[in-house]
Amino acid sequence: MRDGVCVRVRSLVKVYAGTVRAVDGVSTEVLDGEIRAFLGPNGAGKTTLMRVLTTQLKPTAGDAWVMGYHVVLEAAKVRGVIGYVPQEFSVWNDLTGYENLLIYAKLYGVPSDERRRVIEEALEFMGLSEAANRLVRTYSGGMIRRLELAAALMVRPKVLFLDEPTIGLDPRARSLVWSRVLEYREEYGTTVVFNTHYMDEAERYAERVTVMNRGRVIAEGSPGELMKLVGEGVVLQIRVNGDAHAALNALSGLEGVVVVSSENPLKVKLADAQQGIARVLGALLARGVGVEEVVVRNPSLEDVFLKLTGMTIEEAEALGYREAAWVRRAIRRGG
Amino acid sequence: MAWARALTFVELELRRLRHDPTEVFMRAVQPILWIGVFGTVMSRVRAIPTGSVDYLTFITPGVLMQSTSFIAMAYGIMLVWERESGILKRVLTLPVSKFTITLGRSLAGAARALTQLFIILLIALPLGAKLDVSPPHLLLAVLVVFTGSMGLTALSILMAVFMKTRERFMGILQAITMPLFFASNAIYPIELMPAPLQAFSRVNPLTYIIQALRDALIYGDYADCLANLAVTAAFSFALAAAASAVLEKIIE
Ligand SMILES: Nc1ncnc2c1ncn2[C@@H]1O[C@H](COP(=O)(O)OP(=O)(O)OP(=O)(O)O)[C@@H](O)[C@H]1O
Ligand SMILES: [Mg+2]
Repeated sequence: MRDGVCVRVRSLVKVYAGTVRAVDGVSTEVLDGEIRAFLGPNGAGKTTLMRVLTTQLKPTAGDAWVMGYHVVLEAAKVRGVIGYVPQEFSVWNDLTGYENLLIYAKLYGVPSDERRRVIEEALEFMGLSEAANRLVRTYSGGMIRRLELAAALMVRPKVLFLDEPTIGLDPRARSLVWSRVLEYREEYGTTVVFNTHYMDEAERYAERVTVMNRGRVIAEGSPGELMKLVGEGVVLQIRVNGDAHAALNALSGLEGVVVVSSENPLKVKLADAQQGIARVLGALLARGVGVEEVVVRNPSLEDVFLKLTGMTIEEAEALGYREAAWVRRAIRRGG
Repeated sequence: MAWARALTFVELELRRLRHDPTEVFMRAVQPILWIGVFGTVMSRVRAIPTGSVDYLTFITPGVLMQSTSFIAMAYGIMLVWERESGILKRVLTLPVSKFTITLGRSLAGAARALTQLFIILLIALPLGAKLDVSPPHLLLAVLVVFTGSMGLTALSILMAVFMKTRERFMGILQAITMPLFFASNAIYPIELMPAPLQAFSRVNPLTYIIQALRDALIYGDYADCLANLAVTAAFSFALAAAASAVLEKIIE
């Protein structure tokens, strides 16, 4: 049986149009009540995986179950237990917020005598009561996201799938969205699966994180466990004045010091904070490198990604864009 | 239950129209030209033999179906837009069957198109079209327009599934609406057409819809009206079934 497993993914593969291996053999298990992040750069395959789990796409190979229901063979049952907010906006902007929820409530089959209460509660919970009768066209991005969440939460799903729930939102809107999701989850014990390419979001809100790159899982664990991959110690972020090369020369060969990013600001991993900081600054000053700013921080998932792929998430994305452009050209040429 | 959910899509459409009814009025322009200018002039020159009825009366049902069929067949553009946003992805993960979704959206397209029936009657009657709009006849006309537009909307959904982008959709829409109109009995009796065109007009659903409409509003021929309505209904459900079978492909 399920054994407390909410989402089970086995060797899942999804190939688009016979060529793009968007998901390339993913296996994982999300436990009941867990908050799980799928983290990775653009094109990592996060959306594709979520679309298979929400019964929109049939996998090319492998299997997946949600609440014990197979996503292909029992798709109708899966649809009955999930809530889903896609990466793109999914409300009608020529209706009001209330009307959007009304249409969704009717499609979900919420009984007519409960509809009004269910909708008003959802709007209230998401802080949208005031705006309920305005056309969605006049909403901010954060309000639209909260309306979409309201439409998903209204029917009390067992599992909530959120694809990049805060993409494009400013920090205040992001934290408002998250506070609503967390409070809801606290109350109903819903399992939450979300995609993100914001490291800090995965670190802060997820209990476990699955790091993906190019369709594969490259690491999985709690944020704490993943941090251990980069080892104990601290990361120094140093903004130097002028030439980063001189600084790199100064640092090369220093004991207990690993340069993780050679762009200005440099990122340097230190095994031992107390001795390391003095040693690094000493070496830089000795070579006459001006130091503008030093930030000491604990290692983050960003460093984990860097360590696992040799690239920052931005570099991986830039590469992904180049590849995507190349593939598009190849397709246009018919090759 | 399934019907209630299907009708929700009609409600969606009506709520949209209520927020922005301008398009309902914009759509009156073309029929005014067809009936008011083309119809009046051709009536006067008596170039096209239309039996016992005058030309203006004859083409009113044809023009009505021309404009409602265009509205119905353009419905897919909305699905193309919903495909680009996340709406369709979301709707297709709701606990609602594909057939219910397709049926609901086809009914929604039909409801949108139906507004045109009343607009055209408001244009044609004052211009002198001799139409019987007593309750049973009008009701039959409503049924015919609704059933036919539902099928044409289903056809539009099929087009959206395979065309996927706005440009390609508009391309095919333009490529087929005019031929459907001219190769039908909309503005001349099919007996006047060359043989190959006649053959085509007999498999053209518009021909049956327009015939049923003339039976209801002009000739008062109930039996022939119901026969043509039956053909229309068969065609509409077949298209709805076909569209629902492939609906999922729209978000691939
Ligand atoms: N419908 C599609 N048809 C063909 N290829 C697709 C389709 N959707 C995605 N892809 C390709 O599959 C790969 C994975 O895309 P996916 O959207 O799953 O990644 P992602 O991790 O969600 O990225 P993002 O952060 O940009 O949302 C990419 O190379 C993408 O171009
Ligand atoms: Mg994505």
